[in-house]
Order: sequence, then structure tokens, then C-alpha cells
Amino acid sequence: MGNKETPMLELVDVHKSFGDVKVLKGISASISKGELLTFVGPSGCGKTTLLRIIGGFTPITSGKIILDGEDIADLPPNMRDTKMVFQSYALFPHMNVRKNIGFGLKLQKLPQKKIDERVDELLALVHLDGLGDRTIERISGGQQQRVALARSLALEPKVLLLDEPLSNLDANLRVVMRDEIRNIQERIGITTIFVTHDQYEAMSISDRLLVLNDGVIQQIGTPSDIYETPDNRFIAEFVGYVNFLEGKIESFDQDSSGLFLVSTEYGDISLNKINERNFDKGDEVFLVIRPETVTLFPLDAQDLPNMLTGKILHSMYSGNLVKYTIKCGDRELLIDQYNPKDSIRFKRGDTIKFTVPRTVHAIPKKG
Amino acid sequence: MAEAVIGNAQRSLWYKIRIFVNSYFINIFAGGLFALLAIFLAFPLVMVFIKSLWGDDGFTLSFYQEFFFYNFYYWSFLNTMILGLSVMSILVVVGFCFAYMTTKGPHWLRTPLKICALMPLCAPPYIFSISLITLLGRNGMINNFFNLDFNVYSWTGVIVAQCLAFLPLSYMMIENVLNSQNPSLEESAADMGASEFTIMRAITIPLAAPGVLKAALLVFVMTIAEFGNPAILGGRIPFLAPDTYLMITGEGDFNMASVLSVVLMVPCIIIFIIHNYILKGKGYTTIVGKPTAVDPKDMTPVIKYSLLAIVVPVAIMILLCFAVIVLGAFVKIVGVDNTFVIDHMLNMQSNTAIYNSVKLSLMAGLFGAIVGTLLAYVIMRGKFKGRKIMEMLALSGFALPGTVIGVGYIMAFNSPPFLLAGTIWILILNCAFRFLAVGVEAGISKLHQISIEIEEASADLGADFITTFFKVILPIMFSAFIAGFIYTFMTTMMSLSSVIFLVTPGFDLAAVYIYLTAQLGELGLASAATVKMMLIVVVCFVSLKLLAKKTGLDVIEKK
Repeated sequence: MGNKETPMLELVDVHKSFGDVKVLKGISASISKGELLTFVGPSGCGKTTLLRIIGGFTPITSGKIILDGEDIADLPPNMRDTKMVFQSYALFPHMNVRKNIGFGLKLQKLPQKKIDERVDELLALVHLDGLGDRTIERISGGQQQRVALARSLALEPKVLLLDEPLSNLDANLRVVMRDEIRNIQERIGITTIFVTHDQYEAMSISDRLLVLNDGVIQQIGTPSDIYETPDNRFIAEFVGYVNFLEGKIESFDQDSSGLFLVSTEYGDISLNKINERNFDKGDEVFLVIRPETVTLFPLDAQDLPNMLTGKILHSMYSGNLVKYTIKCGDRELLIDQYNPKDSIRFKRGDTIKFTVPRTVHAIPKKG
Repeated sequence: MAEAVIGNAQRSLWYKIRIFVNSYFINIFAGGLFALLAIFLAFPLVMVFIKSLWGDDGFTLSFYQEFFFYNFYYWSFLNTMILGLSVMSILVVVGFCFAYMTTKGPHWLRTPLKICALMPLCAPPYIFSISLITLLGRNGMINNFFNLDFNVYSWTGVIVAQCLAFLPLSYMMIENVLNSQNPSLEESAADMGASEFTIMRAITIPLAAPGVLKAALLVFVMTIAEFGNPAILGGRIPFLAPDTYLMITGEGDFNMASVLSVVLMVPCIIIFIIHNYILKGKGYTTIVGKPTAVDPKDMTPVIKYSLLAIVVPVAIMILLCFAVIVLGAFVKIVGVDNTFVIDHMLNMQSNTAIYNSVKLSLMAGLFGAIVGTLLAYVIMRGKFKGRKIMEMLALSGFALPGTVIGVGYIMAFNSPPFLLAGTIWILILNCAFRFLAVGVEAGISKLHQISIEIEEASADLGADFITTFFKVILPIMFSAFIAGFIYTFMTTMMSLSSVIFLVTPGFDLAAVYIYLTAQLGELGLASAATVKMMLIVVVCFVSLKLLAKKTGLDVIEKK
């Protein structure tokens, strides 16, 4: 990566098979100090396995896991400086909140006074002051989540691992806890790996995302990298709705204006630039058109660059936006028009014009 | 890339050992437990097999030949099967009637009937021999009163005693099945116009069939394995379990005793396999979503009275049997000389026997609970091959007849390297391993409720295996440990079939004492000892029920 400093955690060509089933097929990535990286992908993509490999709960088939300069791949979990918050929280049912949080500290044989101080500190950090003596059954799901977090933070691990920590909470609480986890993480600057299957959760909490599918990294990047400049079709479809337009690169950096020309069956579209990717003239591409980037015009509007025509098939009003389904050739496009109050409204059956922005992103059709 | 990555090569030897022990501790542990199972369960059984095929001149099939040649031997087998089948058939019907009445019958009758059906649980099975002799023996109360000439030392006597003894088993399993049927099914059948009889025939019984089959098989196994009732009431009729005992005490013929044991063991093993592997998970799940409370309907009179005609006499018989035992403990001779005496209760020999039994049961309970808990953990959490075999071995003690294990123990532990005969240890180990299944199952079901993530969390926070085991796993499994302890204690108290082979003269156990006094016709002494034993068992029973209520871990229902 561009980062010059030594990463806190580095995965080098990690492979994992269960019997004949290859779950991880060569994962390499690194995470810098203080960063929050999210493993995200559909269920069965290997994200939890990867997390458990880092935590030491699942042995690795081959590869290296380098934590702060030490290959920890063959260490058992209790000898690794990573701490995990489990999906089920895994709180000890026979201990109260304090004892749960202090469990690891006690194993370190710290004096009881030190432990008490640290536990108080942590209780304050996760806003559970005063609940230390409660038993686990007598606190709510969100509070259990906080206890689990505090318990993992108690030992000041080098890397904090969070395994779908929000999946057992109801929708409202999930947002609150998500923000709170991010808040605490930024405040104490702990290097964190977060696993989730929820794309939006991943987008809103992460510094960077590592998108996995089928045991292979699809893309690593910031939330805006993932959304705006996806590497492939899988990534493009992974977050939000997307319309694909097939096209072919016609001209390539010849024009004095610096535009690229892509021909589609509905007309030519010119783009400011095509990624950092090395496309050649004649390459087949998909244009990644997000619904909110398209602007609609009445049929009699004057021609603008990148303007195509279509017909409204269906429209659905939902307050802040109107969702239009537009027939363009034999293809249906989904277009969002925000702020409908100040826009021209179209009815079903209207023939309209629409423009695709020059900043539209292109991905190769193959691969 | 970091330039200087520390890998395994740079680590110290001590560090490497720590890594190894932490990663493989459970396997080391499992190895030890496997050895225990092999020595104290598998080895005696293997000895039985070997002894049945190994005479003075080496390998021979002559003992089996003898078995099939002399009708005394093979009739012993046939009788046992006939006994098993008849008790099974009767108990399926009676058990169903009781279960139907207590789940769908009139409310006021449910609890009393349930209590009657479960009462035999808190007494050893052979209590009914003693009661039946008191009631229907040559000088029995009923025989005398009605001037009858009924012979209790007969097929009828054995069958009745066995049926009463194993009614709870059949009842509990069938009741469980009926209880888990969705009442809406019967309601919808009624809605479509079916009568109660049609519903019973077309809905209730077919849905209950797999469960009833399981109950029937269990009853069959328990009946053929039972030693006490056929030994006391069987008289001259040959049955496998008592014959095995006679073969050893009377003839000293270990080879033939082994053949009889193998013959008895075969059906038990077959049924154990059918039960655990073929019928496992069979049955209908009819309750989906939220069960709705339904108002009980009145039973159709014809059905109600015909079921009552079966259920009421049986219930009265059970009550009578218990009453006669309690009475017998405090009067000279029930029905003959009804003067109050306290001698039976104060008898020194009987008290010593009870004391010895309690001591033995405590030790067996403790040992069994420890081994059972550890085994459950290793079976559930271990990642080594052979876990299934381990589980099967651990659970087999329950399915195998006590006489077989008893015979195996005297042969296996009579000589070095495992010279245990004559010590209390042979009794402790025998009981602990025979009743291991309950502790193991309780442990397994407890572990099913605990996410493995809890143990992972402990390791994650820096605990090594031992610390995790003592600080996290044991406290959580404690209820299973206690359940295993009490159950083993209780069954050891009552157990007769196995320990009778292993007790030494001069060391009386309550069960053996009851059996011997009953054999000698000292019914007062036998009754008094039974009453004392029952009191202890009832206490255990109540504690188990309380434990179940508190922790949801019900080992009684499980069995």
C-alpha cells in the first residue's frame, strides 16, 4: 500500500481449506496502526474464517500472519496479542459484569486494586458506570455488547477483532452501537478489524473495507473507493443499486479536450478519464451508472453531451426522491431524482432525455 | 514488508512446549479418559467374549454348542425373550392408557394417576417381588383372605412384577410424545367431523408411533436385563440373568456364564444401535411456532371408561404394593400376625447394609460424575478421531445388562494387572462406569446450551486450557455434574444385578441384603430395608427434580 510505516498487522498469502473446500485462496493485506478495517462480503465468503484465523481459533493452511513484526500463525489464542469480541458476546454467565471485564487482568496476576481501577475506567469508557455488580442475565443486549467490548479492551491488545458485533441487536440500537464503537475506537486509537455482512454498516464505520467473495479479495479501499470506483461488477453491485451500460472504447486520449469516447448501443458517451486502469482502444467495458448521478430532461430540452433518450415505465414517489424506471432501448434503468418538489415531474409513458455525467466509472467487461 | 519477522525458529524451547501443550491439551486429556473407558467398560466385555470362546484347551465353540444343545440353556434364552416381549406388549398398552389419561383425561385425575405411574421409580424393581409375595405368596394376604391358591412363583408373577416395575419408563416416554403433539391437529380433525375414537386411531396413535416404538424397545431391554424379579419369582423357570448368576455361584462355570452373557447382550446391543442410530431423530414434530393453550375437552364416555378399566386396577395395584412394603416393615408378618414391631427397622445387619450402600453410592456418584463431566466435555469439544466410539462406549453402560458387566468385572479384575476383586474399588468402578451414561448425557446437553465462543473468549483473554477448564467450563457445567452425581448415587443404591457378583461375604449392600432376605422369605426384614432405601431414593429424586426446575436439566425425563 501507499503507507510507508510498518503495518500493525500483515496477512501474507493466507490460505485455508476445510478438507477439500478452499475457503480462503491467498489473502494478502495489511492494516496500519489505529486503522479500522472491515471484512465484508456475503455469507460464506470466508470473512469470519479470516478473522478467526487472526484470533487463533482456526489453524491456517498456509501463509503468514505478522503481528507487529512477529509471525503469530502457529500461536494458540491465549498467546496472541489480539482480542476478540464474539458475535454471541460470549460473556461468562457465572460472573458479574466486573468479573467479566477483569477476567483477563486477573489472569495477568495484577493486584486487585489495579484491576478495580482499570475496570472502573473501562466501565466509564463504555458508559456502564454503576452496573458492575449486575449479573449478565440482568443487563440488556446492548449492555452485554458493551461489556464484551470492555472485556476485550481491558488488556490493551494490539489488534481488536469484532465478529459481527451488531448482528444480535435491533435496528435502532445497531446504529447507536455502531457509532459508539467507532467513537471509542477513534478515541483510544486501537487498530481494529470489524466483520460484517451488512454493506452499509461497513461503509459507515470503516476507514477501509476489504471486500471478500468466494475466498478471494475483490477490492480493498476506502468506502468512497468502493462505491465510486469499484474494481469489478461484484463490487459495483455490492453497495447500492447500479445500472450497467455495455460499451466499447472508441477513442483513447487523442482528443485535445482530454475526453475518452465510449460507444454504447444507445449512443456515444464521453468520459473525463477512465480510472487508473490501462484500457486499450477496442476494450469492452461496463459503465457503472449510479441512479442518483443521472439527470432527467423533458424531450424538448436542448441537446447536451452524453444525452440519451428513454421512456418512463414506472415512477414511485417517496418524499425525498422519485424513483423512475426508464426504458432505454431494450434495457431498463433505475434513476433516482432527489428533491422532487423543485424538479420537473414525469408521468408513466413520457418520453424523456437524460444525461450521464462525464465522471462515470468504467470497469472491464471481463474479469 | 517487515524486515525482521520473528518466526517459530527464533522461539525458545519452553515457549514451543507451551504452544504445544496449549494446542493439544484436550487430546492428552481425551487419551486418559479413553484408557479409563477401555479398561473399565470395554475390557470386561471383551473378557466375557473371550471366556465364551476360550476353554482349557484354547479356542473352542463347544460352549456355544452346549448352549444350543441343552434345552435348559436355550429355553433360558427363549423364556427371556418371551418375558421381554410380553412385558413390552403389555406396557405399551398400559403406558399409553396412563399417558392418554394424564394428558387428555379429566383434570382431577391427572396428577394422582401420574404419581401412581411414576411411583415405581423411587424403588428398586425387585420391590414388586416382595410385595407380590406378601400379597399373593403361599401365605399371602390376598390368597389367605379369599382362600385362593394363586402361585406367585410363576410366569404370571414375574410378568406382573416386571410390568409394575417398568411402567414408569413406558409411561414417561409415551406421555412425552403425547405432550409434544400439537393439540390443533386433533382439533382440526374434530372440526372435520371425526369422533374421539377416530382421532385417536387416525391422528394420535400414528403420530405417537415412533415414540411408542422407542419406549417399547427400552422396556424390552430393561426387562430382559432385570435380575431381581425373575430371580426371586422365577422359581424353576430358567431366565438368562439369574441363570448367569447361578452358573457362577452354583457351578463356578465361567465359560457358560459368559455364553449366557453374550446371548443376553446381543439383543441389547442390537436394540441400542436401533435406538441410537436408526430411530434417532425419528418422530414427528407437530408444534411449530407458538403453541396455543387449549381447553381440555371431555372424553367420550366409552373411551374414558375403557381406559379407566385398565388404568385404575394398575394404579391400585401399585399403591397396594407400596403400602404392603411399608406395612411389612412395621408388623410381624403382614396378613398373618399384624402386631406392630420395630425390630425389622432396627435390624443391625440391615442398617450396616444401608450404610455400606450409601458409602459405595457416594463414591461411585462422585467418581462417575467427575468422569462423566470430563467425558462429555471431551466428546463435545475435542477435535480428534474416535469421538463417536468414545461416546458410544460411554453410553453403552446403560444399555448393557448389569449381570453381563458383573460377570465381566469378576473375570477382568480378578488377577493382576488389575487385581481389584474383594475391594470396594471394584464395586465403585463398576457402578460408576455402568451409570456413566447419565452424567455424560447431562454434560453433553449442558454443553449444547453453551456457545463454544465462551471458551474461545477465555482463551482469547489469555487463559490456558487448565484455567479455562476450572474457571469457566466447570462452573458452567456444575449443574450437570450434580445431576450426574445424584443419579449415579440413586441408581447405585438400588442396583442389584451387577454388584451381586462382586460383593464379598461379610460386606453387605442394601440391594443384595434385600434380595437375600426376600429369597429366604424374611419379608419383614426385606420390606424394612426397602423402606429405608426408598426414603433415600425419594430424597435424591426430589433433589433431581428441584435441580431440573432450577436449571432445566432433567435427567429423569431423559432416561
